[in-house]
Amino acid sequence: MNDDTILITGMGALSAAGNTIAETLASFERGARNAGQVTLFPTKLKYPAFEVRNLPQQYALEGQRTLSLALAAVDQALADAGLAQKPGLRIGVCMGTTVASQLNDLAFYTAYRERGAAPMTAVDRFLKGNIAEVVSRKLKARGPALTVVNACSSGTDAIGVALSWLKAGLCDIAIAGGADELNHVPYCGFASLGIVNADLCSPFDRDRKGLNLGEGAGVLVLERRSAAFKRGKHSDLVLLGFGASCDAYHLTAPSPEGVGLKASLKTALREADLNAADVSFVNAHGTGTKDNDLVEGNTLAELFGRDLTMLSTKGYTGHTLGAAGGLEAVFTALGLREAWIPASAGFVNRDEGIALAPVRENTAIRGRFAVSTSLAFGGNNAAIVIGREASQ
Amino acid sequence: MNILGVGTIFQGGVGMRSFEKALEQGWTKPSDMDAKWAAGGKHPVYQVNIDAAPDRAVLKKIRRADRLSKMAVLAAAEAVKDSAVADLQHKSVGIILATAFGAHVTTFGFLDTILDFGEAAVSPTIFSNSVHNAAASYISTALDIKGPTLTVTQFRFSFAAALQLAATWLELSRCDYVLAGAVDQLGDVLEYVASRKLAVAADGKIRPFSFQPTAHVPGEGAAFVLLGNEQTGHAYCTVPSIAVNDDAEQATTPDVIIIDADGMQPDESIYASQVSPASIVTAYSPLFGSMMTGGMFNTAAAALMLKRQQYYAAPVADNPRGLKIMDRSGPASIQAIDCLCCDCSGTKAAIRLAALR
Repeated sequence: MNDDTILITGMGALSAAGNTIAETLASFERGARNAGQVTLFPTKLKYPAFEVRNLPQQYALEGQRTLSLALAAVDQALADAGLAQKPGLRIGVCMGTTVASQLNDLAFYTAYRERGAAPMTAVDRFLKGNIAEVVSRKLKARGPALTVVNACSSGTDAIGVALSWLKAGLCDIAIAGGADELNHVPYCGFASLGIVNADLCSPFDRDRKGLNLGEGAGVLVLERRSAAFKRGKHSDLVLLGFGASCDAYHLTAPSPEGVGLKASLKTALREADLNAADVSFVNAHGTGTKDNDLVEGNTLAELFGRDLTMLSTKGYTGHTLGAAGGLEAVFTALGLREAWIPASAGFVNRDEGIALAPVRENTAIRGRFAVSTSLAFGGNNAAIVIGREASQ
Repeated sequence: MNILGVGTIFQGGVGMRSFEKALEQGWTKPSDMDAKWAAGGKHPVYQVNIDAAPDRAVLKKIRRADRLSKMAVLAAAEAVKDSAVADLQHKSVGIILATAFGAHVTTFGFLDTILDFGEAAVSPTIFSNSVHNAAASYISTALDIKGPTLTVTQFRFSFAAALQLAATWLELSRCDYVLAGAVDQLGDVLEYVASRKLAVAADGKIRPFSFQPTAHVPGEGAAFVLLGNEQTGHAYCTVPSIAVNDDAEQATTPDVIIIDADGMQPDESIYASQVSPASIVTAYSPLFGSMMTGGMFNTAAAALMLKRQQYYAAPVADNPRGLKIMDRSGPASIQAIDCLCCDCSGTKAAIRLAALR
């Protein structure tokens, strides 16, 4: 048993699929797709979205919804890990986001544009809203804090950063994942790219017509086995590997050959010391866009074979951007822990152009290793390998 | 981890020769920029002239990129060129780009399209360029680098945190080289915000050793370092430690401390309490302006000092606290330099650079 193995000792998640892990699993089990018209901001666009409903009141920070979501997921994960506030502990905090990194408040900007002056409220929220910094300060932690803004792979990349920190000894415990709110500005931006579905998304389906936006947060507590052991914490879930690579191809389109995704997967498997055949399922990025699903599906088939058990959970959460990697890491770990994965919501008809298809039904999982992938704007690709240790 | 090459772009020009020249010449006056909210309609800024960049081939590759991305790509390309490491595109190279505010000018441009044309008629091109990791993506494409590519933001600690992560990537062999750097740009909205929260230096002079009261002059630019574990003939220095929000374990006091003081905090007195009386103190923000990622330029200056074994006098040396200031330029014997960054909450980061042996 390696003392430097990185254990997953806590998990937290909230999304349209549920405000807790238990609620999420229940949604998965019954195939619930909690999408609807946007209620968080006024819009004339009619694209459905996956909003988080009934966010607990103690997390309702005005104008800082991404931070609210992040803090709710962090608290869940800390509680799951049995970690109360520990001043002075070497805790790294790495969180991915897209929305919280930008001062894109329309009311503030409208006032500035019209009058050359604007109240500083939105600015102050932005300046005090760096997620990693807020979480680190809340924990009174010592150690690195970093907010990753790598578009849709931010959450997976943040987990990869935390893995590097732990392996390099920069901290004993790391809190990592992603958070993003459904925000008016990217809602318009994604619509302008022509990749948003007017109906519910259907990842990997022959007739897929694009993605739905969503929101949420997913967080892991990671720690070296030796540190967990010292505080009497055990977990059989482990983070085994991470890989990231850039296509160096195009700002908004993935490399048609999946160059970067392939490299990321190979790196992650190498770090995990596994072969592709060892992987029991892949939780794919699977947005429901034509390009992403085509490239990702065929790349996964090339590496893992056409019989790979694969799903996309975006049919339950929508595309939560910077949160996606964090949420999907949690869902992947849950798949191993619960020994089943949900049906890939929205998938009906196989696309003959894609060499494999996702699962249509809730599916039992017997293996001990799984992969979660993220593909991002800018040509970024990232993959993590999660494992479940054999019973002693 | 060694610094193998450095690339900069700031008001003084593109590349390390321009940066060295600025360090040698000392303080230069900022330029004036139109500002509808400023008294007299103008305010001082340190502004980059991208049109003067000599590397037109790189600019041609990224002609659709916004100003932020162009600055980032030019600085990154300079760092690669400066390192003289051959065939980098065939090697294992990662990119870590740090930014405090990202593509805010492009983001506000996108908001303009929402306000002017409505939600359904916004510009996809502007939206694409407004995403935080667009600049890193342009670097990757322009330089054909396919390793892990990451964009991070942590306000004042963005650059130090990026460098710290680069060190772990090299230590864990995630890649053989890392191109790490930072970029931030001027823009009227954020300058308005800064003017509401901070004093502007009316005479255009940042006084980094005054500490309180402070005054700032907004700046912009980018700096990148090519990092690797090998020691090349062009290498500048080694980076033995980086501590962010943690205590650095240092066996020795540095010969020189470069502080990030630049008037971006109303009270920068924390720096006075952090510098050792045994070290010579300097700061170069008066050359490139006030910016949360200004530590990238101080690190570039430190690397140059160690490579050249040369002092560069503090460009503005007003010294009311009587610190031991670097008040002359000239040959020196320097073993170690700390680049120190603090924020108003007391969080600090220290990047230790040391001479190669």
